[in-house]
Amino acid sequence: MSTLYLIPAFPLGGALFNLLLGRKMPRWMVHFVAVASVAASFGVVLWTFANPLWHLFAGRQEGQPVELVQNLYTWIQVGDLKIEMAFRLDTLSAVMCLIITGVGTLIHIYSTGYMAEEPRYAAYFGYLNLFTGSMLILVLGANLPVMFIGWEGVGVCSYLLIGFWFTNEAYATAGRKAFIVNRIGDFAFLIGMFLMYMATKDLGSTSLDFATFRDPAAQTAYTASSWFGERYAMWACLFLFIGACGKSAQIPLYVWLPDAMAGPTPVSALIHAATMVTAGVYMVARMSWVFAASSTTMAIVAGIGALTALTAAFMAFAQTDLKRVLAYSTVSQLGFMFVGVGTGNWTAAIFHLGTHAFFKAGLFLGAGSVMHAMSGSGDIMKMGGLRKRLPITHATFLIFCLAISGIFPFAGFFSKDEILAGAWGMSLPDVPRAYAYVLWGALSLAALGTAFYMWRLYFLVFHGEIRADQETQDHIHESPWSMTFPLIVLAVLATVAGVIGFPHLHAWHMPSLLHGLEIWLEPSVTGSMVSQATDLRTGALIGAATLMGVAGIVAAYVLYRHGPSKQVEQFTSTELGNRLYQASKHKLWVDEIYDSAFIRPFRWLARALFELVDRFLIDTVLVGGSAWVVSLFGRLMRWVQNGQVQRYMVGVILGAAAVFFLSGRAARPAIEWRKVGDRIELRAYAGAGLQGNGARLRWDLTGDGEWDLKPEALDRLSKPRKPGEPPHQIEPEKDYLSDPVIVRHNGSVGPYVRLEIIDPLTHKARVVQAYVPMVVSLSGTETQP
Amino acid sequence: MRAFLIVLALALGFGGVAIADEIPPARAGAPTVAPPGAPGVDGTLAPAVVKAPKDRDRTEGKGTGMALLFWACALGTVGGAIFVITRRNMIAAVMGMVGTFIAVAALYMMLYAHFLAVIQMLVYAGAIMVLFVFVIMVLNRPEDEPWALTGLPGKALAGLAMLYLTFRLGQTVWSVKADANALAAPAAVTVTLGKKVDPVTRAISQDTESYHWGSTGAVGKSLFHDYLFPFEAISILLLAAVVGAIAVARPWKDEDSPDDLNEDVPSEVVS
Amino acid sequence: MNDILLHVGFGHFLVLAAVLFAIGVAGVLLRRNALIVMMSIELMLNAANITIVTFARMHHDLNGLSFALIVIAVAAAEIAVGLAILIAVFRGRRHVDVDRLNTLKY
Repeated sequence: MSTLYLIPAFPLGGALFNLLLGRKMPRWMVHFVAVASVAASFGVVLWTFANPLWHLFAGRQEGQPVELVQNLYTWIQVGDLKIEMAFRLDTLSAVMCLIITGVGTLIHIYSTGYMAEEPRYAAYFGYLNLFTGSMLILVLGANLPVMFIGWEGVGVCSYLLIGFWFTNEAYATAGRKAFIVNRIGDFAFLIGMFLMYMATKDLGSTSLDFATFRDPAAQTAYTASSWFGERYAMWACLFLFIGACGKSAQIPLYVWLPDAMAGPTPVSALIHAATMVTAGVYMVARMSWVFAASSTTMAIVAGIGALTALTAAFMAFAQTDLKRVLAYSTVSQLGFMFVGVGTGNWTAAIFHLGTHAFFKAGLFLGAGSVMHAMSGSGDIMKMGGLRKRLPITHATFLIFCLAISGIFPFAGFFSKDEILAGAWGMSLPDVPRAYAYVLWGALSLAALGTAFYMWRLYFLVFHGEIRADQETQDHIHESPWSMTFPLIVLAVLATVAGVIGFPHLHAWHMPSLLHGLEIWLEPSVTGSMVSQATDLRTGALIGAATLMGVAGIVAAYVLYRHGPSKQVEQFTSTELGNRLYQASKHKLWVDEIYDSAFIRPFRWLARALFELVDRFLIDTVLVGGSAWVVSLFGRLMRWVQNGQVQRYMVGVILGAAAVFFLSGRAARPAIEWRKVGDRIELRAYAGAGLQGNGARLRWDLTGDGEWDLKPEALDRLSKPRKPGEPPHQIEPEKDYLSDPVIVRHNGSVGPYVRLEIIDPLTHKARVVQAYVPMVVSLSGTETQP
Repeated sequence: MRAFLIVLALALGFGGVAIADEIPPARAGAPTVAPPGAPGVDGTLAPAVVKAPKDRDRTEGKGTGMALLFWACALGTVGGAIFVITRRNMIAAVMGMVGTFIAVAALYMMLYAHFLAVIQMLVYAGAIMVLFVFVIMVLNRPEDEPWALTGLPGKALAGLAMLYLTFRLGQTVWSVKADANALAAPAAVTVTLGKKVDPVTRAISQDTESYHWGSTGAVGKSLFHDYLFPFEAISILLLAAVVGAIAVARPWKDEDSPDDLNEDVPSEVVS
Repeated sequence: MNDILLHVGFGHFLVLAAVLFAIGVAGVLLRRNALIVMMSIELMLNAANITIVTFARMHHDLNGLSFALIVIAVAAAEIAVGLAILIAVFRGRRHVDVDRLNTLKY
């Protein structure tokens, strides 16, 4: 499919235009290019969806994937590893692309109104387009590395956009915080990717392509056992999930999302509600075959999701900033989605992803509209009674609140119910049944909390007396059409989107449209791991969920319909109430805990390293030390030549003494021997200072301590003595063996050979000893070692 | 000063005795005298009659007297040298130097290098020391401190090295054993001058002369036969030295001795 | 000991020359006046001369005596020029202190 690349190319091209040239362009051209590029991308997605992809889907066989692939070029090729720069549009990524480009276009249109007075207009739209392009690369990536390109890209854009008004120190810090926490997740993602490579590298050519993960051969590979008896899949998915925690703001890496509200509101809508934070859920769904191979990881995913959902809901109770409440709501709903994928309920998770995109984006855009009316303030305590002044905003906001609370027939009802039902019906192998009930209970409580804090927000903002001051009140006005139009579109979507995800009821045979999403996603994910439920159970669960939602609404209505609640105030002034209130308001002090547990030690470590390595080791020892050594040599050398003649004389004397000293150590008298055939040849070497050939020698070849005699002398001495003759005497001048070179049979020369050299000049004798092994060598010559 | 002069007198005395008393000993191995004129069997010219010079050493270089003479000369040498390096007064140092030279001349005499001994006296003690005295008169400035103590560690090190050097040197040369006695008279040197025809017998023979080893004739022969070129080169060297000395040391054109010119470059530059 | 004292051989002369050389070195290193330094150099030359003559005598070689003669001549030339330089230096700096004559280092 050769036009897939256009889908990310259009927004990226728009980004390039706006970032490079936008500053010099008039405003209308900037936002025209930006909106048009995203809209064009949306158009290409629609066309590809309607034409090729639909036909493929319609004509598919059982078990065959439905996808369009475009391979741009080979990116990395090392040995067996071959990673292509390839895009794949299958049914799952088609859904994601539609959401990204559709909602993205709406938000781009909204931004033209919201950011109308922004001086860095072009930069804003450039970043927004860049983000859209990166997100599309992420979902269109055909293999893990290309997905990672997009993964990183959205992280960068998130940083750029959160800290858009970077002149404010707090906003800049928020941007940094987001990026750093995201990086931690990215690191885990990389490790997960490497583990997948490790698992599949022996299959021949490896490409980390998602399509290969569903092959039986690959399945055998990553279900093989690795460390601690766990499967490869378990470790890889664990680390990938940690990466998802960073991107999708789950415990423990969610802390950046509430602070990310420092960015402009459309950014919060697009990035932190609809698209970037859903990348983690998408990734798990994309790797569904691998995740399904490890029930341990799935259980962990579901557990973390449920815990996050509950905790975030708790933290949202006491927040007074409009966008903060929505931020915690996002974290909580993402927890719902992760419970969905954790229980193997892929369709439900993606469904909730989609509906959440609609109503959460809508909520954020509505909040932006409200803040626009309130001259930029987001403090809900100072709002109230806005429903008359902001009719369209109010109406759409109401619809979104109903949707998020799971009220029939809005979209949230269907998606949330599916997830709750899937939690109750979870049937992962090796996971006890009680776990499912725990998950369901936590999620139900979270749903209750969701409804409560959302309607608290609604009532405090739109009902009751107007609590704003007079000056602000004068400026309250409904937003321009560029801002209200997207709200209306999203409200419509939030109302009707539920139609494709009806729950299964055995009693009523539904047309396939009502299960459209499930059928559509079936080629792209592994089978659902939720057990089939009876109609009774299905109905009971639906009823329980609805009950939770209604209860929350009613409680909020009772407490807040006239504005800030006096009963709540009384409650929080009690001991227990105050504790709970403080805990919620301070977000369970998680940021403070992280600061003292991680940030401070890290800063201390950095400072210690700076002092130790940079100051001491490099500056003092290495740099200063080198200079010191050089100057030391300089000082030494300077000693030699100071201009005084006597110093030079000292040098001469020292040199002469050195010559004498060294020459005294030169060649000492020595014996050199070598084997020639089966004989040994001994040579006498007189040392320096002796008159070489004139020296007189005496040999002791057997090492017995007696100097050897010449053969003639031996003859003479062994002859019997004639009577009258004086006893034979050894004549020292002539009788001793004194040849400089001696050749003897091997074995007749003793292990120790001694040589006496008498210097003819000084008449001094020196004795030298050598060790000559009495070993016959089998071949040729062998010289002295 | 006085002690030195006494020693000097003793040295001179003994040296004079040694020179004057040159009675050659009866020695085996005197140069043989061949019958004149007869040509040899192999056709070479017969050696001429060699007139043996009179041997003048009667003592054969042995005995305690000779040893005592040597030690006296050695004492004079070393004593004079120490005088030179320790006297503060420069004229005293010069005197010490002269004493050393005289003792060294006596040593040369004992080694039968007569010519060299006299040259030593003439040139060294006679010319060079006079030159030193003249220069002392020019550099007439009282010395502040005789000892150069800067860079003392280096000099101490050099002193130790010098001790080691002297020790090794002495060790090496002490063991040299030669056959001849140092103080005995050496054999004469025979010089062949050319062919000589005897007017009476018309015999052709080598014309030879023999000199004592170390005598003026012998050294002259060596110098003017074998080393003529170095001899002439030396004379040119001396000429160059004279010219150079005059060129360097003559007074300047404008003034004689400027008093305030060329202040010392400070020698306390940090090193 | 008696043997060394009473029987004087060539070794005695050579050791004497070595000692004289050492004294000359000591004088060069330890005296401050340049004139004394030059006299010490003369001592060293004399020591060398004694060695040459002794070896010539030892090997009954006349060439050594010629060499010694040339050494004496060269010593004379060197002294002449050296003293002339000393005078010139004195004229400029009013002293001949070797410790202060160190501008050769520049």
